[in-house]
Amino acid sequence: MTRPVTWQDDPAHFRRPTRRSFLTVGLVGGLGLSLDQFFRLQAVQANTPGGPKEGPAKSIIHIFLPGGIAHQDFLDPKPLAPVEYRGEIGTTPTKLPGVFFSEYMKHTAQVADKITVCRSMTHGEAAHERGTHNMFTGYRPSPAIIFPSMGSVVSHEFGPRKNLPPYVCIPSLPTTYASSGYLSSAFAPFSLGSDPAAPGFTVQDLKLPNGVDDKRFEKRRSMLEAVNDYFARKEKDDSLKAMDTFYERAYSLISSEQAKNAFNINLEKPELRDAYGRNAAGQRMLLARRLVESGVRFVSLTYGGWDMHNSIKAGMAGSLPQFDQAFAMLIRDLSDRGLLDSTLVMVSSEFGRTPKINGTAGRDHWPKVFSIILAGGGIKKGFIYGASDATATEPEDDPLTVEDMAMTVYHQLGIDGEKKLMSPGSRPIDIVREGTVRKALIA
Amino acid sequence: MNRIALLVSLVIVSVSAQAQELTGIEVYPGDINLLTARGRQTFVVQASYADGITRDVTAQCKVTLANPGLAKIDKNLVTPLADGETQLIVEFGGKSKTIPVKVKDAKVDRPISFKLDVMPIFMRAGCNSGGCHGAARGKDGFRLSLFGFDADGDHYRLTRELPGRRINLSLPQESLLIEKALGKVPHTGGARIKEGDPYYHDLIRWIEAKAPNDPATIPTPVGLDIYPKQAVLDGKGELQQMVVRATYSDGTVRDVTSLSLFLSSNDNSAKISDDGLVTANERGEAFVMARFATFTVGAQIIVLPKGLKFTWPNVEERNYIDTLVHNKLKKLRILPGEVCDDETFLRRVYLDIVGVLPTVEEYSKFISSSEPNKRAKLIDELLERKEFAELWVLKWAELLQIRSSQQVSYKAMLLYYEWLQQRIAQNVPVDVWVQELLGASGGTFKNPATNFYQNETDILKLTENVAQVFMGMRIQCAQCHNHPFDRWTMDDYYSFAAFFAQIGRKGTDDPREVIVFNSRGGEVSHPVRGGAMKPKFLGGIEPDLKGEDRRVVLARWLASPENPYFATGLANRVWHHFFGVGIIEEVDDVRISNPASNPELLAELGKRFTSYKYDFKKLVRDICNSRTYQLSTKTNESNEGDTRNFARAYLRRIKAETFLDCISQVTETKNKFPGLPNGARAVQIADGTVSTYFLTTFGRAQRETVCSCEVRLEPTLSQSLHLLNGDATTSRIINGNVIGKRLAENKTIAQIIEELYIRCLSRKPTGAEVAKLVAMVDAEPDKKTALEDVFWSLLNSREFMFNH
Repeated sequence: MTRPVTWQDDPAHFRRPTRRSFLTVGLVGGLGLSLDQFFRLQAVQANTPGGPKEGPAKSIIHIFLPGGIAHQDFLDPKPLAPVEYRGEIGTTPTKLPGVFFSEYMKHTAQVADKITVCRSMTHGEAAHERGTHNMFTGYRPSPAIIFPSMGSVVSHEFGPRKNLPPYVCIPSLPTTYASSGYLSSAFAPFSLGSDPAAPGFTVQDLKLPNGVDDKRFEKRRSMLEAVNDYFARKEKDDSLKAMDTFYERAYSLISSEQAKNAFNINLEKPELRDAYGRNAAGQRMLLARRLVESGVRFVSLTYGGWDMHNSIKAGMAGSLPQFDQAFAMLIRDLSDRGLLDSTLVMVSSEFGRTPKINGTAGRDHWPKVFSIILAGGGIKKGFIYGASDATATEPEDDPLTVEDMAMTVYHQLGIDGEKKLMSPGSRPIDIVREGTVRKALIA
Repeated sequence: MNRIALLVSLVIVSVSAQAQELTGIEVYPGDINLLTARGRQTFVVQASYADGITRDVTAQCKVTLANPGLAKIDKNLVTPLADGETQLIVEFGGKSKTIPVKVKDAKVDRPISFKLDVMPIFMRAGCNSGGCHGAARGKDGFRLSLFGFDADGDHYRLTRELPGRRINLSLPQESLLIEKALGKVPHTGGARIKEGDPYYHDLIRWIEAKAPNDPATIPTPVGLDIYPKQAVLDGKGELQQMVVRATYSDGTVRDVTSLSLFLSSNDNSAKISDDGLVTANERGEAFVMARFATFTVGAQIIVLPKGLKFTWPNVEERNYIDTLVHNKLKKLRILPGEVCDDETFLRRVYLDIVGVLPTVEEYSKFISSSEPNKRAKLIDELLERKEFAELWVLKWAELLQIRSSQQVSYKAMLLYYEWLQQRIAQNVPVDVWVQELLGASGGTFKNPATNFYQNETDILKLTENVAQVFMGMRIQCAQCHNHPFDRWTMDDYYSFAAFFAQIGRKGTDDPREVIVFNSRGGEVSHPVRGGAMKPKFLGGIEPDLKGEDRRVVLARWLASPENPYFATGLANRVWHHFFGVGIIEEVDDVRISNPASNPELLAELGKRFTSYKYDFKKLVRDICNSRTYQLSTKTNESNEGDTRNFARAYLRRIKAETFLDCISQVTETKNKFPGLPNGARAVQIADGTVSTYFLTTFGRAQRETVCSCEVRLEPTLSQSLHLLNGDATTSRIINGNVIGKRLAENKTIAQIIEELYIRCLSRKPTGAEVAKLVAMVDAEPDKKTALEDVFWSLLNSREFMFNH
């Protein structure tokens, strides 16, 4: 006889058939956890010394292209398809024989031997927010629960490294789905609140306020300790301890020159800044590299707006070259510094775009097949994974599901996607529901 | 050997029984009805002792029948022998109890029924659970409806979908259904039943009978009971058997203990076996549940440390709240804490009732007053302040998702907010304005309440929102299948949704305004069976609509005592505001499997709220005057682990809006929010889409959903950085120049520090604190800067961020 299984064990909530063997998970824990208990639990989970070991990828840079970039005008051109499918954008040969990218991807074409392009990404969500949810969380959206983003899961599993926040968003939180979902917002990303491409770029609240130098800050801290002492003796509560933890993290961030420097893009050589491109794409990717180099585990950045329902050629010509320059430079730069093998770079978008050009010379939403890039962090180099059909309409080989994508990324980071996290109401929920690691992607 | 074991157990029982006086025994269920030769009923005997402990003494009792010819007793099982009426007499420790026994049709066999006999096996054996064949697409090629919500569909799939495959009428034992269930052929789920067990026999009997479906007249389950309703177990290893009985639409009853699924809300305190046997574990409280058909019922199990010595001291009870909280604590053997001091009380009521801190003058006035009823007086004063209403407008604005959007123009949003503000400020009874809101028709400008129907235009989402906001329930599950952890079926869901099926919307001359009207047409149909659903109140009756607007009819019921969830749901939300934890937690997740920590208290609050004509000021007054609300956070040995039973005060971080207002207040600086005059308070922001970095960082609700979970109170790195380095502290301290003003008044450093403490923490600093801080300031050449640093420290202190 079995216990009733939990809500998440029903694939109907996820609309995918299940293949995994029978599960017997009961409701565990008390009559709903209080916030305090919740913290205690999470503090334990986050700090267990026997927790996950880092995988080959020590850090990850997630470059998200909001709006849904057209796969056929980006990484998966179909020059032999009829014109209403292939559109007006030409192609460029890459370092891989027989492999072509969009004509605006000339630089990336030259690093094609260092990256893996997946041309068979697929899911069924054609609405922006739902597709975005998929790509940030590895889950289909549910009416009953909000899932944590991959960055928050990484933050939850590993915690901070070298005094730096484990999960950083550049320039700001791109969507609520990039946040901590059912996990405590303690695992939410740290957002810069400012664009590194902007001339006066500073990170929100990282700098001591005007008139306060390190010495005065030290005095403030000792006063604050004096003030906190009374309450700390009087009250014993986990929510206080959690608050203390974040103050400690803030102190180490503020007082560590090294940590603060991680955010200081001005310390990069001007030539390198130029090479990345003095624009949003270039500077965001450069800062992302700086951050992972310094110890940040998960950097999420966005660039551009790709919802090109109209005049897609002009749109792509306007935005894609900057991405191309910056991305190719990022790969080279990571490679030159010996960081590519320990840094997973993922380029994704909420979905692709319709196979046929529409009446306004654009393309509409298309989640059935689209392309993403995975590079470094133990992923194969110079590899094309999966394929779409002749008109880029359906996946032809190795359709890559959201769950498998997430499972593989987690695997490279050293996280077991089958592990369960505790959601409110004591509901244990898998990090990824029924995903499989795609071994073919791994070097 | 057996005899010795029995003897030993009898000795143990008598020893522990001697320790406490036996006060009575109860036999469950309270009557036994056996129908047909297949009738059976198990029973349990529960003994109660003077110290409140209960014990399952079924095996130690002497059980006899007044007329032994009518039925047979085998341990705790009664089976029929002959028709008639008699009595079951149970004796234990000098106490006895008699229950009636009825036997009917003892010689008649009962035909096998698909719905009454076979379907429950699928649930009990786990076949139709979500992880198995109950999944929406089935499992390994075979689908059953989740927890049996579609019995006819299941019958079809078993007998007709693949004819001859799943059941074998000529060789029932070789049916795939049987072989899979036994695990004789490869089966992902393994062996679910055993050859020869009752489940096996019933399945075989059904196939032997040619696998019939039932006539439409077959009775359906209408109720479920679990016994005993409560047990207080004395230490690890104590056992308590549960009995579950179902009632059917034809008035008959059946023992369904062996067909129910059991689960415990807290295995750490009480585990329950598949057969309903509870084993006590660590100290604590658990809710054990039985699920059968569409019903889930629960019983409360309290586990105490073995032989715990406990005497309840004389604790003051100021009103019914204290009495009911104490009743629960007595059961749990927990001593409530002490009453908090005046300073803590003052800060707490100010933050809770008006969302501001007491000023220095208010502090002095209250602390120096020697009036015996000064706390009650202060509560009355605060309830009359406009900030009280503002705090509740904020709360309701979150629940009603007041925010400008594509459907709700900025102007409509503002009018909607003003409408709400007026209702609350004028203390219009909640039922009156909720009825006005839900029944609203007209232009979104002329009758701003109609914006409720513009905020959400999807019928099903609207249905779910109404249930969540006004009844505290999340009924989303029942959209696709019967709610697995609650009583709601798809029928309930769609017939409730039918109230919102006839909302018409049309534009006006002004593109910003929409007219909401009764379109008198449109139905909601059942996604499995099809067909229009008749509007039926959730958990209530099918009303006579008499051609009225469906929403008006619904509103009249929903915001009335007829709806059992309205008053208690709102009372629970009010309670949550003052304690940080609801009696049901989360406050909008009321379900059978998430029971109230103190049902009597919740019921009484609901009753009082109704009798106060939904004037929630009166409810707040009761709460704030209770000893329970005025407890200190200080723990004693028994209450330190308490997080749900209000045996002490819990620390609560102050929510974003109030926190910002407190900072503005103590630093004497003003806020500027879009659309509001300079100096407005954050709680006054009408539009959910308007926020500031501070408010967002500290977890302001975005009002994207009706969920209470939108308000976040957990700490983050950004929060710490913002208070340490951001403009909320240093620049406000400088701009408000409180320190400069005090220095100009020639106040001493010690005086200024004392004032800062009172301003921020509503208490005087201790001698040690003054000495330490004065020394630190004295050591600095620039006193003003040093004092500003003290101020900064207070704003960054944990004590400032928490209501304690």
